[in-house]
Amino acid sequence: MAGKVKWVTDIEKSVLINNFEKRGWVQVTENEDWNFYWMSVQTIRNVFSVETGYRLSDDQIVNHFPNHYELTRKDLMVKNIKRYRKELEKEGSPLAEKDENGKYLYLDFVPVTYMLPADYNLFVEEFRKSPSSTWIMKPCGKAQGKGIFLINKLSQIKKWSRDSKTSSFVSQSNKEAYVISLYINNPLLIGGRKFDLRLYVLVSTYRPLRCYMYKLGFCRFCTVKYTPSTSELDNMFVHLTNVAIQKHGDDYNHIHGGKWMVSNLRLYLESTRGKEVTSKLFDEIHWIIVQSLKAVAVNASPSLTSSTANDRILKYNLINDTLNIVVPNGEIPDCKWNKSPPKEVLGNYEILYDEELAQGDGADRELRSRQGQSQGPRAGRSRDSGRTVLTTWK
Amino acid sequence: MLQEESDLSLIIAQIVQKLKGSNLYSQLERQAWGSWEKRILKSLNSMCTELSIPLARKRPVGEQKELLNKWNEMGTDEPDLSLFRPVYAPKDFLEVLINLRNPNYENGDSLSFRTHLGLIQIPLKVKDIPELKECFVELGLNTGQLGIDDSTQVPPELFENEHVRIGQKVLAEQDSAAAQQYIRQGSPTALRAELWALILNISSEPEDVLYYEQLKTNVIQHDLLVDSLIYKDVKLTASNDDYYFVFEDYLYQVLLCFSRDTSVLSHFAYNSASPPKSYIRGKLGLEEYAVFYPPNGVIPFHGFSMYVAPLCFLYHEPSKLYQIFREMYVRFFFRLHSISSHPSGIVSLCLLFETLLQTYLPQLFYHLREIGAQPLRISFKWMVRAFSGYLATDQLLLLWDRILGYNSLEILAVLAAAVFAFRAVNLMEVTSLAAAEAVLADLSTLKVMPLLQIFLFATVT
Repeated sequence: MAGKVKWVTDIEKSVLINNFEKRGWVQVTENEDWNFYWMSVQTIRNVFSVETGYRLSDDQIVNHFPNHYELTRKDLMVKNIKRYRKELEKEGSPLAEKDENGKYLYLDFVPVTYMLPADYNLFVEEFRKSPSSTWIMKPCGKAQGKGIFLINKLSQIKKWSRDSKTSSFVSQSNKEAYVISLYINNPLLIGGRKFDLRLYVLVSTYRPLRCYMYKLGFCRFCTVKYTPSTSELDNMFVHLTNVAIQKHGDDYNHIHGGKWMVSNLRLYLESTRGKEVTSKLFDEIHWIIVQSLKAVAVNASPSLTSSTANDRILKYNLINDTLNIVVPNGEIPDCKWNKSPPKEVLGNYEILYDEELAQGDGADRELRSRQGQSQGPRAGRSRDSGRTVLTTWK
Repeated sequence: MLQEESDLSLIIAQIVQKLKGSNLYSQLERQAWGSWEKRILKSLNSMCTELSIPLARKRPVGEQKELLNKWNEMGTDEPDLSLFRPVYAPKDFLEVLINLRNPNYENGDSLSFRTHLGLIQIPLKVKDIPELKECFVELGLNTGQLGIDDSTQVPPELFENEHVRIGQKVLAEQDSAAAQQYIRQGSPTALRAELWALILNISSEPEDVLYYEQLKTNVIQHDLLVDSLIYKDVKLTASNDDYYFVFEDYLYQVLLCFSRDTSVLSHFAYNSASPPKSYIRGKLGLEEYAVFYPPNGVIPFHGFSMYVAPLCFLYHEPSKLYQIFREMYVRFFFRLHSISSHPSGIVSLCLLFETLLQTYLPQLFYHLREIGAQPLRISFKWMVRAFSGYLATDQLLLLWDRILGYNSLEILAVLAAAVFAFRAVNLMEVTSLAAAEAVLADLSTLKVMPLLQIFLFATVT
């Protein structure tokens, strides 16, 4: 049916609206017939909640999967990864292989983490093994760095110490759920500063898994030099890289916002550390993303607020490329579509993982290259398990 | 600022006056530089007087301790720099160059020079495209290049892999001359830091580290007025740059030491300039009380810190970074802000740029001239900074590879002309200097090697 895509959004952001308008799409309200709804997190929750029983029709697309919640919340994300690992282990998948110390060879990408208050006792046991360690507390349901703090003494988290068995109902309301992780206090520093990575990944389908990574991801730097010194544990400008936090520091510079393109990072690392190590780093980053998605992991609300002019341009182009992939040629959505989009429409995205393509020519080619295995009986076995892994998540 | 401008016109008038009747290039150089040097020093001295700050002073012990503690994060210091002004900016220097004259027209080349319509009025010998092609033969269309033949569409087996292998061999054999020849085709990112060190003959011996530490001690113990100028420059330029802001603290660590490094004075032996001199208070004119100020004889100008910034992508150990920068400065960068007749000197580069444009893109050249947008006014700042801060870092490093490989800065003028050629269509449509500036404001997406190759080897001459 030839017609213009009808769109709705409840987020008033120019990077979205300009992109819809430039395609000549028609704005409608949510009560009318719509094809494309860019929803805020609250709306998503309502649409997909069991009570409302809302079902999308075949010609409707929204910007989040119903299960996005599984990974928006940090506690659910951790649970999913732990569960994913255990399941792979049970199946005997080579992905779940461990070394002689019991550490996962390929899936060790989450530091030791516990849920509070549920796992409080387990946490204390672990804490006491290395009492001089630092831990980071993050509220499960918040983003943009809100509510995060560091601790190095048990007394600092006394609040969560009540036995969850006895107070599971009473305290639920006044004890917010947190995850606590071992803090990595020797991060890679550039110019003496800590930084993190903001990468954009688009998942167009889960079954088969098809995901794209935006090439123009970026690093966000702290404005203050990093120090592991315990006297600076309270200084969030040292430890947290979120722009929402850094924006309020004295040294925040509004022209560049303390960011580097990932391509810059790559150039710097190749120049100072060499090519092999840098390629390995980026391979492992991609691996973590794909594995996390397989364990079902997506952050629900990246900031669409632009902090600098360059940032606005980036986000506009990001949305543009995203729309080109998920609504190819501006055609009315059809849930029976399942084709991979042609290369030309990718824009600045590159294919991170396409399950169909991967299954087409040797399911676990990616696994084999990670393990450095060549053809042989062992490879034969992993080929089977590889396929099993993939079909489980279908 | 107005006072400054009238000072400047006065100085220029004086320079022009002095130069009337001089016959020899070297005399030209000495006098031109001498007047320029006087102007700079005058500016420095007047800043001193106005702000009641001495050119140099010993720091009290408390202050020394504080600085030592903050050595790795001087960027967080926020001294009040509002009253400091850069001693000069590239455009001031351009005015001086524009007004250089040599009335000796007996020179055989001068016939064609009479038709030179650019801003530079000194008839120095510069290469034309056939000569440049011979000189830069390795940039030709049939030779593999990094910056072209390593793009994602080209399979690495065709050039890149073999080139990397050769680079590794050159490094293993520590062959400086071979490295210089090799790098004409560009350096692989992972090998660049070592290759540059090899070509520049930098090996970090303990005595080099010690020397750097000694300079650092000098910084801790004495405060120089130029330090504030350095701070201001870093804050105004590198700190606002998308690529280099991360390295702000390294820049202070390098530049503050640099200004105290008297070994840099030795480059003046082959530089026709002479280091600016100052006199101990009350002893003006008495040679035994003359000191070089600053100690390294180099007064920083607006944008100076951008010479150091790209190097931070390669070296993160301060003393090594320092050595590399110092060597780059005394071999190359000083030529970009001194008056000389050397083929890599800024005067020659300006003339080369203008001549290339007028000869091979005459329509564009005349058009721009017509609308009051002399091309050199736009490209001068690129060349003075060796394009640092204008190109993307990876492109800049590819460009500087060739500066090292050919031991010449002429490539800067060629690139400047190539940029104009690339944007010629848009430039033909502008009707003002401001509009021309706008067309050429953003070079961050340019790929330098294809531009150079096309301009030199694929343009009909």
